[in-house]
Amino acid sequence: MTHPLEPRLAAYLAGKMPHAEDLAVDQLSRISGGASRETYRFRLIWRERGEPRERRLILRRDPPASLIETERRIEFEAYRAFRNTPVPVPEMLYLEEESDALDHPFFIAEEISGYQAGPGTLWTEPYLGCHARLGRRKWEILGEISKADPQALGMTAVLPAGAPEDCWRRELDHWEGVLDADQTEPLPIVRAAIRWLRANPPPPPARLSVVHGDYRTGNFLYDTEGGVHGILDWEMCHLGDPLEDLGWSFNPVWSFGRELVGGLLPRDEAIAAWEAASGLKADPGALRWWELMGCVKGQAIWISSGKAWIDGGNREPIMVYPPWALQNAQDRAILKVMGRL
Amino acid sequence: MTPKVPEVIAEIAGLIGRSLVPGGDPAEVGANLGLSAALLGLAAQRIDGMAQALVEENRAVRALLARGAELFGDDGWAVLSRGADENFRISALERTNAELRGALLALHERVEQAVEESARALEAAIWDELRASTERRLVIGSPV
Repeated sequence: MTHPLEPRLAAYLAGKMPHAEDLAVDQLSRISGGASRETYRFRLIWRERGEPRERRLILRRDPPASLIETERRIEFEAYRAFRNTPVPVPEMLYLEEESDALDHPFFIAEEISGYQAGPGTLWTEPYLGCHARLGRRKWEILGEISKADPQALGMTAVLPAGAPEDCWRRELDHWEGVLDADQTEPLPIVRAAIRWLRANPPPPPARLSVVHGDYRTGNFLYDTEGGVHGILDWEMCHLGDPLEDLGWSFNPVWSFGRELVGGLLPRDEAIAAWEAASGLKADPGALRWWELMGCVKGQAIWISSGKAWIDGGNREPIMVYPPWALQNAQDRAILKVMGRL
Repeated sequence: MTPKVPEVIAEIAGLIGRSLVPGGDPAEVGANLGLSAALLGLAAQRIDGMAQALVEENRAVRALLARGAELFGDDGWAVLSRGADENFRISALERTNAELRGALLALHERVEQAVEESARALEAAIWDELRASTERRLVIGSPV
């Protein structure tokens, strides 16, 4: 059966590919997950100078109400900036910021097929033997992101570059503001964490880096040998303290109940891999600050997701899952990082 | 649990009904049903003990507010500490719980700023209760 989006997508792509004949879209199917963007895979087929052509592509479309409100152009440009660098990313093809073609803004990218992204499969065969190697690769690539020059990548053209000494305050103000706007009940644990963060700010970073914003197990494509083939979900990308990504990647909710960061590596090995690749040092006190900041950010996202469901903007079950499955775990993560658990 | 359990279950009932209509994207229908099953599983774990946990927590928070009222001479906390749960609907218990935890949050902030030795003891007791509050909400499979 034809998905209703297929002919509309074909019409859009035909406008972008005037050389293509008999262009059609088929096999469009939604990929599960993606509470902040609707993600679909599809096949594009066309003829070019009489020859049949085919390409597997990804459509990322804004939903009616999102778990995270972000600029799709920033995500698109972040992928483009890291193309052909040591940071593996899929090729970006088209960005559409208007809603005429498919009701909401979207972008289209190549599909990197043949690999897994979901963390669930990591804890089953044939992936059980690859964790240490995958973990080292994960934090090496994060080190490459931290090392990259934002100006040379062109990211300063699309992202505001504030003063390094304000990095911590910008993030804390933003996510506290999200909690202020979206909480529907008192949150004594996360509010205690916020008070501690304000009373104990970290030193400024040596320099501003590109911050992926959601660098965690589950947001990269991996294989059975521990290889990483694509860093995904750049929608919260910004410029900031490189320790922010490292702290977020250490958020205990991403440990999946294992005593390893990201469920993959001992903490000191992950730090060593990141330091070796980035050429930076992870100050323990500053890293702890950013770990706790990551817990506050996580809680803000889970709370926001529930609020979007309550307000009726998005009634999909994926909006309920984060507050039900992760809100209490995030509180426990805060207690753990603060040495209270 | 927020969003509230009855509202989520009602939404899931509607979703299951819509899923029976032919023509949907099988991957999308499957993903939504899988997530719905996970949500029902989470609700099933909590629902039987939820009223008991709320009553227990409300009692514990009232005891802390009584200590705070005595330490700081706060009438508002004193009034809240003398309350009791009489309506055992989960929605009513949750409303009371939100009011009490809001007061606990304010007490915690006040205690952090105080210098008295008794304030340190109360602060430790508040952290104990906050830790206990996460144990009451713990579900199987929680990552932390």
